[in-house]
Amino acid sequence: MAEQRESTDIQFAVIGSAGDGTIAAGDILKRAMAGLGYKVIAFDIYPAEIRGFGKCISRVRVTTEQAYSLKRHSDVLVSLDDSYAIPHVGEVCDFGAVIYEASPIARQPEGGHITAHIRPTQLPYGLNQREISERATNAARSRNIVVLGYLAGLYDIDPQAFRDVIADKFRSKAAIVTTSNTAAFDAAYEVGKTVFKLDQGSLGEPVHAREGETATMMTGNGAIVRGCMDAGLDTFFGYPITPATTILERLAAELPKHGGRVLQTEDEISAISATIGAGYTGARAATATSGPGLALMAEMLGLGVMGEIPSVVFVSQRGGPSTGLPTKTEQSDLNIAVFGGAGDAQRIVLAPTNVDGCYRTAGKAFEMAEKYQTPVVVLLDLYLSNRYETVVPPAKNPFAPSMNKGLDAWRGEGAYQRYQKTDDHVSPRAVPGDEGGMHTVTGLEHSEFGKPSDLPENHMAMSAKRHEKLKAALTHPDFTICKRFGDEGPVDVGILGWGSTFGEILEAMFAAQAAGIRCSAMKVVMLSPLPEQQIVSFMDDCGAVLVPELNYEGQLANLISGALGRPVTRLNRVTGAPMQVEEILAEIRRLAQAKAA
Amino acid sequence: MTELLKPVYLEDKLKQVRGDGHLQYRSRSLPTWCPGCGYFSVAEGVAAALNRLEVALKDAVIVSGIGCASRFPFFMDTYGLHTLHGRTLPVATGVKVANEKLTVIAVGGDGDAFAIGGGHIPHAARRNVDITYMVFDNGVYGLTKGQTSPTSVQGFVTPSTPYESHDQPLNPLMMLLSYGAGWVGQAYAGRPHHLADMIVEAIAHRGFSYLHILSPCVTFDKTEMTYSNLDVRVRDLPPDHDPADRMAAMEQAARTAAPALGLFFSETRPTLGDGFADVAARATGRPAGKTKAARKK
Repeated sequence: MAEQRESTDIQFAVIGSAGDGTIAAGDILKRAMAGLGYKVIAFDIYPAEIRGFGKCISRVRVTTEQAYSLKRHSDVLVSLDDSYAIPHVGEVCDFGAVIYEASPIARQPEGGHITAHIRPTQLPYGLNQREISERATNAARSRNIVVLGYLAGLYDIDPQAFRDVIADKFRSKAAIVTTSNTAAFDAAYEVGKTVFKLDQGSLGEPVHAREGETATMMTGNGAIVRGCMDAGLDTFFGYPITPATTILERLAAELPKHGGRVLQTEDEISAISATIGAGYTGARAATATSGPGLALMAEMLGLGVMGEIPSVVFVSQRGGPSTGLPTKTEQSDLNIAVFGGAGDAQRIVLAPTNVDGCYRTAGKAFEMAEKYQTPVVVLLDLYLSNRYETVVPPAKNPFAPSMNKGLDAWRGEGAYQRYQKTDDHVSPRAVPGDEGGMHTVTGLEHSEFGKPSDLPENHMAMSAKRHEKLKAALTHPDFTICKRFGDEGPVDVGILGWGSTFGEILEAMFAAQAAGIRCSAMKVVMLSPLPEQQIVSFMDDCGAVLVPELNYEGQLANLISGALGRPVTRLNRVTGAPMQVEEILAEIRRLAQAKAA
Repeated sequence: MTELLKPVYLEDKLKQVRGDGHLQYRSRSLPTWCPGCGYFSVAEGVAAALNRLEVALKDAVIVSGIGCASRFPFFMDTYGLHTLHGRTLPVATGVKVANEKLTVIAVGGDGDAFAIGGGHIPHAARRNVDITYMVFDNGVYGLTKGQTSPTSVQGFVTPSTPYESHDQPLNPLMMLLSYGAGWVGQAYAGRPHHLADMIVEAIAHRGFSYLHILSPCVTFDKTEMTYSNLDVRVRDLPPDHDPADRMAAMEQAARTAAPALGLFFSETRPTLGDGFADVAARATGRPAGKTKAARKK
């Protein structure tokens, strides 16, 4: 028995063909590990096609301390289909394990077998996946469960955690499904326990959540839904689009239980229109879409800005432009989120960087929409929407149930003025049903009474009102608009990042620090209005500023260099996959050396 | 036109209008429509209808799109929402979903409804969202100065079709009937009292109601949908017309040379709100109660 490790950091990759149960195996694995108290971050890759063969990969990183991204190198690769797994053998680190079918049905051509691709520094583990499954269940179908049993045995993980998850996963099916899968698991567990081990031994003791806290595993979209529920969302209107669809689906199941209403509309234009209609009526209203849907919504967002109507739009980005890469991740909708639409139409744009941030940002978005009477766009991306992380939900609901400045705040003389001038530029807002607050909201430029007016001084004053009021969002209570990590004071290299890529940025920053480079990173969560002051003082500390983004044009880099007139170094990738930590690290090293030279 | 046979004296008329109570529904903003525009009758009709139905000002919301007709909310003293071109119905749906208690009236012109907004109409109708949709059809784009519209006659000469329009007009009533709208009627701005009666019925209907209002544009259409032409062409629906018979309504709607006025079709079925109550009951495992009873009616 090898010595127990003090801290765990192990990444599993299960690779197979659609239909092998690859994603299911990854799901059981991450749920079992999270149940044991480990921190988990997981991301699945699957083809855009529903049927037919395609490569499925489920990557699960298990740690005792919170990890910020997946690793480029996995410690264990489990192959359920060698033809798909072979190209990925190279991603297994030295002394990492490759688990494969020991007795393939078909004869392999010379050099065609997976063992021909395993490097001498990697550990090959041939496992009779099919045979164990057939002996235990009379069918080969449980191969994906067999590999889990083997992993549990190999790494000395509590098998009961897996059995619990298996029972829960197949709860709705016939009892035989659970018993046969458990039998397959147990049979393989015995094999795994007795197999020769080099030094990977067992996982370290997990760090359990603090007293009174329960860690749960969630996707970014799942956390958005949770945030919406806790913020008291009243109405949700949506139209299916990858990767935002699961927000619509989960809310459709959950919201009616709490008195809310969900409607699938005929298109995205209708979805945002109804959201604006409900927001005008005083409801907390939201919709969710991806880039193509946001393009359709841009005009109605303009009405939200002009009419000062609260609404929240969740946008999970995917590869673009046009239909683009619907099942691949990208960060190329920053421009349309911040600028999309006609006229000077500033709105609040927020981009959480991890699953926990999705929860907080979703709830705070409703507060801000109401408080500043504006549309709020929350930018996610496919990687963040779909990846799993362990999070500890707050014990107490952190969101204010209402931040509306209502008709009771009206202090004027005579008739009610919907757009009355105030010190904070936010006017008391009557909603239908309020006695004495009748008014018409219009997309036309209007006077304080809401009547159409194209007088020059009025358009100047109203444009100022709509922009000035948003500045208060930069100091919105209990919300992090941007945050600096890493070394304090002057640094060689500073990294500015947003959205899901910030996880990789943090990992790269830690690696650079370990290599002796003075380095810090700032995440920018509020992208409009931009926290210019904080960004400027951060940049003042940096020898060089690196902006890694998953887009071709460098949209945050453009935003920052445009608004602040400061040069930045760009790192742009549009591979459809998350940014790699090593790519960022290489750029940090290059910039640090350039500075030293 | 019987009401005009008696001479009208200003003092008497003012007294009558003030005493009636419907003036409270009109805002202080004077309509920006051209003198003689059919929309004045609609504004009077809506005020009279809300007054007759005793809808409180604070509980009525009028949602419009863009166009001459869509300026409507400014001239009423209820809550109003002047939205984007063509988006009247989804916005109105959002208002109703957010607060079932409100009386929601969606208004727009023929271009707003059937050109840019055409994609939303079938869905509002099939959902049976409990709102009233009134389309003021003048067969021309007035606010952009006289271009052809989806309900303009074929061969219409306008600035955008100087060599005559080629497209044949839509038949909105047949469209709405085939979309499954639960209440479909037609009125004419030249018969304001009948128009007001129809608006009352449309608002009172539980579910999606569609009122098509023929309303001449006195400025940009001097030849086709004029008062003098429509006065001759319109007819009442036959006295034996059965509003429960959708196919009979379709037949009446097909006779476009002589547009019929009145209630073409009416049926009561569960509304979108009933659907939400049903969903809530299923989600929470509690009996639907009121909703199921409403459905059986």
